[in-house]
Amino acid sequence: MRISDYIGQACGNLWKKKLRTFLTTSGVVIGVGALVCMLAFGQGIQRNVTDQFKKLDLFNYVNVFAAGGPDRPGESSDPDDDGGRRAEHGRRRGGPVPDANQPSPRLDAQALERIGEIDGVEAAFPEMRFPAQIRLGAKELFTLVQVLPADVGRSGLITLRSGACYASNEPNELVISDSLLHRLGVKDPETALGTKIEVATLTLDFSFTRLLQMVFSSGGQALPFARENYAFTVVGVAGRMGFMGPLPMQSDVLIPPGAAAKMRKLSLTSVWDLFAPSGGTASYSAVTVKVKSPQQVEPVKKEIESQGFRTFALMDQLEQMRIGFLIMDMFLIAVGMIGITVASLGIVNTMVMSILERYREIGIMKAVGATDGDVQRIFLFESGTIGLLGGLFGLSLGWAVSMVINEVINILMARQGAPRMDYFSFPWWLCLGAILFSILVSLLAGVYPTRRAARVDPVVALRHD
Amino acid sequence: MDVDEFIETKDLAKVYTFGTVEVAALRAVTLSVARGRLVGVTGASGSGKSTLVNLLGGLDRPSSGSIRVDGRLVSDLSKKELALYRRNTVGMIFQSFNLVNAYTAVENVAFPLLFAGVAKSERLRRAEELLVTVGLEARKDHRPTELSGGEQQRVAIARALVNRPQILLADEPTGNLDSKTSRQIVEILANLNKHQGLTVVMISHEKDLLREFADELIGLHDGAVVDREVLRQPL
Repeated sequence: MRISDYIGQACGNLWKKKLRTFLTTSGVVIGVGALVCMLAFGQGIQRNVTDQFKKLDLFNYVNVFAAGGPDRPGESSDPDDDGGRRAEHGRRRGGPVPDANQPSPRLDAQALERIGEIDGVEAAFPEMRFPAQIRLGAKELFTLVQVLPADVGRSGLITLRSGACYASNEPNELVISDSLLHRLGVKDPETALGTKIEVATLTLDFSFTRLLQMVFSSGGQALPFARENYAFTVVGVAGRMGFMGPLPMQSDVLIPPGAAAKMRKLSLTSVWDLFAPSGGTASYSAVTVKVKSPQQVEPVKKEIESQGFRTFALMDQLEQMRIGFLIMDMFLIAVGMIGITVASLGIVNTMVMSILERYREIGIMKAVGATDGDVQRIFLFESGTIGLLGGLFGLSLGWAVSMVINEVINILMARQGAPRMDYFSFPWWLCLGAILFSILVSLLAGVYPTRRAARVDPVVALRHD
Repeated sequence: MDVDEFIETKDLAKVYTFGTVEVAALRAVTLSVARGRLVGVTGASGSGKSTLVNLLGGLDRPSSGSIRVDGRLVSDLSKKELALYRRNTVGMIFQSFNLVNAYTAVENVAFPLLFAGVAKSERLRRAEELLVTVGLEARKDHRPTELSGGEQQRVAIARALVNRPQILLADEPTGNLDSKTSRQIVEILANLNKHQGLTVVMISHEKDLLREFADELIGLHDGAVVDREVLRQPL
């Protein structure tokens, strides 16, 4: 038989039983639609994360920590084990092993300068954050303020929605995220430019007056804290920042280092800051290093580690992220497969019914010279056609549902001041894969009924009424 | 083997098993049919006539014995070879016509060509030609349910001929027809035998009709050949 004849036979036979074909195909459409929707969501999340990382060059960043300073997530902070830990860290990274008996180098301005001079380093800036109350008119919100040098801020690290980053490191100017601005009651970012915002910091106050207040009062007054107010001008409104925003910008307010130096503040990003010397050169809890390309991350890391510091690069986490996304995809596929499994049972049922109804016809086919293979392929093409139709319409359904969900999410997120995003992604391989998978599942579902059809005894079938 | 013996069976037997019960439908049937002969097979119900035709047509396999057609051992063919034998060597006609109700007359006639891989246009052309031969060109687009019994049987004859077989096996082709239509059908088969040289094996209860048209008569009883009568000598 010719391929065109198999297709013609399949389409003709399915068309004769329109309602049954429609109902069976609908099951496949829903199953494929659900699976496509799930996978498109997984792909969308994955794409958004990786695109954002690539857009912000986050694979080009290395975080540097003092060997005896604050810990990276998941690492021990036992101060007694400092040297051993550094040695172990060096061994694990394959880099130079710092001498355990040497004192830990300080992560200060001099170290920052040395790191900045390493070949392949584009910029290095300290990670300094402190808690503050932000007031605009009557509204006041708590947030973390990040100190970011002007040159780094103007290097494309921040996605500005209006205005620009401060031009130098000195003025009392700030860049604020549009989501924080939204929560402060400003809907249009343009109107915020030039507005004065009050930044209130907390400081430790052990003055005699304060101590007297602590002794003779109760409540909040009983703590050795004082509040300092500073006026800043909004010069730029940035896109997504803050919690869940892109690394290393995980604060909603950015100010220049010169302005920050003039502020009295209590940094709580690290408990080490509490014990930092009040005079002399301050040490940083961490330094962020931007390298020129992802290929230079490893040599730069080795060089920094050889200076006795610890490093962390998102590039190292890429494989972990991939595994995480794979697990998420597997979970979504597992949920989506429930629909496909139910649909495949529908196909088996339809094909068995079709074969029973056409039992005599199968006998006639064999009597006029059809081989078992011919009979099997005729029915396999029918189940394959159901799969093809189910795949095509299922893909369309999945796409349509995804678009609706995407709109709903965007409407809800817009209320939180979040920018518009596509939460679903339909790469070509997902579209093609969904159709092929649907055909494959339908063919597998058709295997048992078609084998049964092929085994029909023509003598018995021709007597069948 | 005589060169004229186109179809030859030797000790052909068929036993059906129903649970523990065995029923012998054919017992050691040995016969031969020369090329181009029209052979009538008669016998009471259950005498093994249909079983014999099914075995000769390759629809069934013998329990023992052999069938040879044109020197080829049909009883030893594989499933696929047997399908090709049915497709290319034999054409079968049944009492209940066995047409596909969903197809028109022309589609039914063209149906066997589908499995032979013939292009659709050629299939329909050959089918229409055969419908002209059996006088049904005006009914080509009618479905079996819209045709009389005689017309359906003529469609079935056209279908049996579409692959240009060497043997035509007719299993009581007049069983569901009135006497006038029965005669017309047998006349068509006899003409095919005479003018196209087809070897025809026809089962019928109508012994008189067979005597009029057949070259030989074979009588079956309880699965065995009990009578063989040559009515016309080969030319």
